[in-house]
Amino acid sequence: MAGGNEINVNESKRVVPLNTWILISNFKLAYNMLRRPDGTFNRDLAEFLDRKVPANTIPVDGVYSFDVVDRASSLLNRVYMPAPENEVQWGIIELEKPLSTTEIVPVIIFFHGGSFSHSSANSAIYDTFCRRLVGICKAVVVSVNYRRSPEHRYPCACDDGWTALKWVHSRSWLQSGKDSKVHVYLAGDSSGGNIIHHVAVRAAEEEIEVLGNILLHPLFGGQERTEAEKRLDGRYFVTLQNRDWYWRAYLPEGENRDHPACNPFGPRGKSLEGLKFPKSLVVVAGLDLLQDWQLAYVEGLRKAGQEVKLLFLKQATIGFYFLPNNDHFYCLMEMINNFVNSNC
Amino acid sequence: MGPYDSSIFVGSSSGSSSSSFTGKPPDQIDGLLAGAGYKVRSSELRQVAQCLERLETVMVNAPTEISQLVNDAVHYNPSDLASWVDSLLSELNQPAPVTVPGGSSDYSNLSFVDSLEGLTINQTAITDDWTEHHGAQQQQDVSQQLTVVTAMEEDSGIRLVHVLLTCAESVQRGEFSLAGSLIEEMQGLLTRVNTGCGIGKVAGCFIDALSRRLYTPQGVGSIGSSYDNEILYHHFYEACPNLKFAHFTANQAILEAFDGHDCVHVIDFNLMHGLQWPALIQALALRPGGPPMLRLTGIGLPSPDGRDSLREIGLRLAELASSVNVRFAFRGVAASRLEDVKPWMLQVSPKEVVAINSIMQLHRLLGSDPTRESTIETFLRWIRNLNPKIMTVIEQEANHNQPEFIDRFTEALYYYSTMFDSLEACSTLQEKALAEIYIQREICNVVCCEGLARVERHEPLAKWRARLGGAGFQPLHLGSNAFKQASMLLTLFSAEGYCVEEKEGCLTLGWHSRPLIAASAWQAVAEPSIPIGQRLLVAVNFQTSFKPTPLAFRF
Repeated sequence: MAGGNEINVNESKRVVPLNTWILISNFKLAYNMLRRPDGTFNRDLAEFLDRKVPANTIPVDGVYSFDVVDRASSLLNRVYMPAPENEVQWGIIELEKPLSTTEIVPVIIFFHGGSFSHSSANSAIYDTFCRRLVGICKAVVVSVNYRRSPEHRYPCACDDGWTALKWVHSRSWLQSGKDSKVHVYLAGDSSGGNIIHHVAVRAAEEEIEVLGNILLHPLFGGQERTEAEKRLDGRYFVTLQNRDWYWRAYLPEGENRDHPACNPFGPRGKSLEGLKFPKSLVVVAGLDLLQDWQLAYVEGLRKAGQEVKLLFLKQATIGFYFLPNNDHFYCLMEMINNFVNSNC
Repeated sequence: MGPYDSSIFVGSSSGSSSSSFTGKPPDQIDGLLAGAGYKVRSSELRQVAQCLERLETVMVNAPTEISQLVNDAVHYNPSDLASWVDSLLSELNQPAPVTVPGGSSDYSNLSFVDSLEGLTINQTAITDDWTEHHGAQQQQDVSQQLTVVTAMEEDSGIRLVHVLLTCAESVQRGEFSLAGSLIEEMQGLLTRVNTGCGIGKVAGCFIDALSRRLYTPQGVGSIGSSYDNEILYHHFYEACPNLKFAHFTANQAILEAFDGHDCVHVIDFNLMHGLQWPALIQALALRPGGPPMLRLTGIGLPSPDGRDSLREIGLRLAELASSVNVRFAFRGVAASRLEDVKPWMLQVSPKEVVAINSIMQLHRLLGSDPTRESTIETFLRWIRNLNPKIMTVIEQEANHNQPEFIDRFTEALYYYSTMFDSLEACSTLQEKALAEIYIQREICNVVCCEGLARVERHEPLAKWRARLGGAGFQPLHLGSNAFKQASMLLTLFSAEGYCVEEKEGCLTLGWHSRPLIAASAWQAVAEPSIPIGQRLLVAVNFQTSFKPTPLAFRF
């Protein structure tokens, strides 16, 4: 464990606003209580502490939401849509018509973070984030409530992601454009980012269309300890020790961090060369100890001839996008907006 | 403050009435943290940060204390970050740090000097937009929100819902022949959907209820005998976790309230078969220091056939109590309506500590005679004057008491769809059938009845909070231990889809994020009764909100 804890705390305080520091430190404290050394997780306390919000069919700030349960899989998806222009239509959920027959409306399938173990689609921080996404990008967002570890290890979350992708593609009410199809993008932060990579690989292999991937400081790793991991361990809210715990909880028992679920372009990974993989936007926070893995991911995509754009935010910490009180947030949103609305 | 000023004004809710009386402006709550589910006053941010820092130091230096924290501590109302961190610090016997004034150099002053790699943004324009927008969002979040919908997908199903709503509209407007033909159309549509489950089943119930309302309104009041109702209740109890959740949560709270008291008295507003009480009796038997003397007063309907069913239940409970060495006394109070119960019937002694238990009962008091004072207020007033140590209130989390019929109908349609969905998933065929009939009766009451006959006047927790707050009660928070009990209960059911959520000290049972039942606990505030001025104000409001309608419905 890194020493000089007081210095660590002072450092993180200087790079984020006070309320952000409180938010993320609160999570850090709570999460510490939930992880047990024997690898089990205090799920009851986790659910008790997690702040959740209901969906709301009445638009708030131009966005409304509703929950849909896929009967076949019992998976909950929370759908966020821009409010109809006409107030008379507020509160009514349209499931018989497409989003538009002329314009293209991107549908972003969002996978929340939480290191595979925490949070849900209806967690307040993610509900708020998805609403902001809709507001800025004028897109529809579908937030997936995937199964979490340690109760459900890899590949459950990725399977749920795949199911959600197929479900979204099959909803006529999510279609748009003159070509009457669902224009799907995948987006996710932290563990969500990891999941969408694997879902996108499968989609490419099975020829299901995904127009783009947005990975927000995705959770990747490996057996090796990288320079950034050593340098930043414990300094900005995250420690290597807790990262290791989450991998042990998520990966199949007995596996190490070079498992391809954790290290897709590592010694046991496979190249995506020749695969019709979607274009990617990878966002890396300069104060995230996992950045070397994320940059290696970008490299891996480039080497395989895939289109990838990197947004490196030097002074950003993890979770910078939870509160819109910093430049990184606005920068990120503008990038995402351009990414899903560029029609290229 | 810097360009990203996140504090906005949020009016104080029912909790802090004192500030509104003295005329001081309510404290500002950090708007961005509120969007993340946390209520922290701007003035407290630094204090909270320092507490978090302190806790973090403890975590690093004494990690075994953390697992102790987890195992022993009971957590309450995590949204109130300030009190949560305070309680954790006191668990660890750590004094809360003294706020350092002017410690601003420690924290970034909310402005960003770094320019980003190759990207610049016009700060001011975006900021104003966003803080204002977010402010508006907070204001709207505070007010009551409409129902969540679990969307139904099949085409005929969607059509059925549209026609149902149109039919309800026409009923409200008094266009009866139109309503009638729509009912025929729906009966036709029903033949094209699976009425065994899903939307087909729910629609079937509502079409039936609408027909009753149209064609036989007089016959609706007396669906089934009370004996039948008891049997159906029992099957509903077995079929799904709803009532068990209610009982477990209430019992946990009551057990805690009775801690340290030797003479306790539980008043149950609806005894039914007394299913709730064996668990409490056993828990009291096992409590450290020994059980108290327990009195139970059970209120129930008079038995139609001359049997004294209340007494029979009391005898069975007495046998159980005796077998576990708990001194026990039972009294049954038979009343056709809850509002007929008077305080003297309960024989509360000043030496005993009282717990009031109301499971799906209070809403029945919301129907009112416009010429008299509100029933619920009179009732709550004498309850409060009993000075109960705790009152557990469990109610359906739904808005089925709105003045407009179409609003009630729509809300009920979605609420009971969720209810049927959940029943689908977790019961045996036989129990399910009877549990469904139990629900159908509720639906019929909501849809067909009016006036005093309409007793299923469910209101959401937010409304009960306001009502109970105004009646001289303050909340007792349900904590993580009650939450854990409830979660354990749910794992006994193989149906994956139920969830328990904590919000502001209350627990809600939901199905796939849609809340079904809300449990809360209350205690009487040590205050004189409601000031006269306020009482008159309430009466006036009541008069003006009653609108006579030109239709044939009896309100």
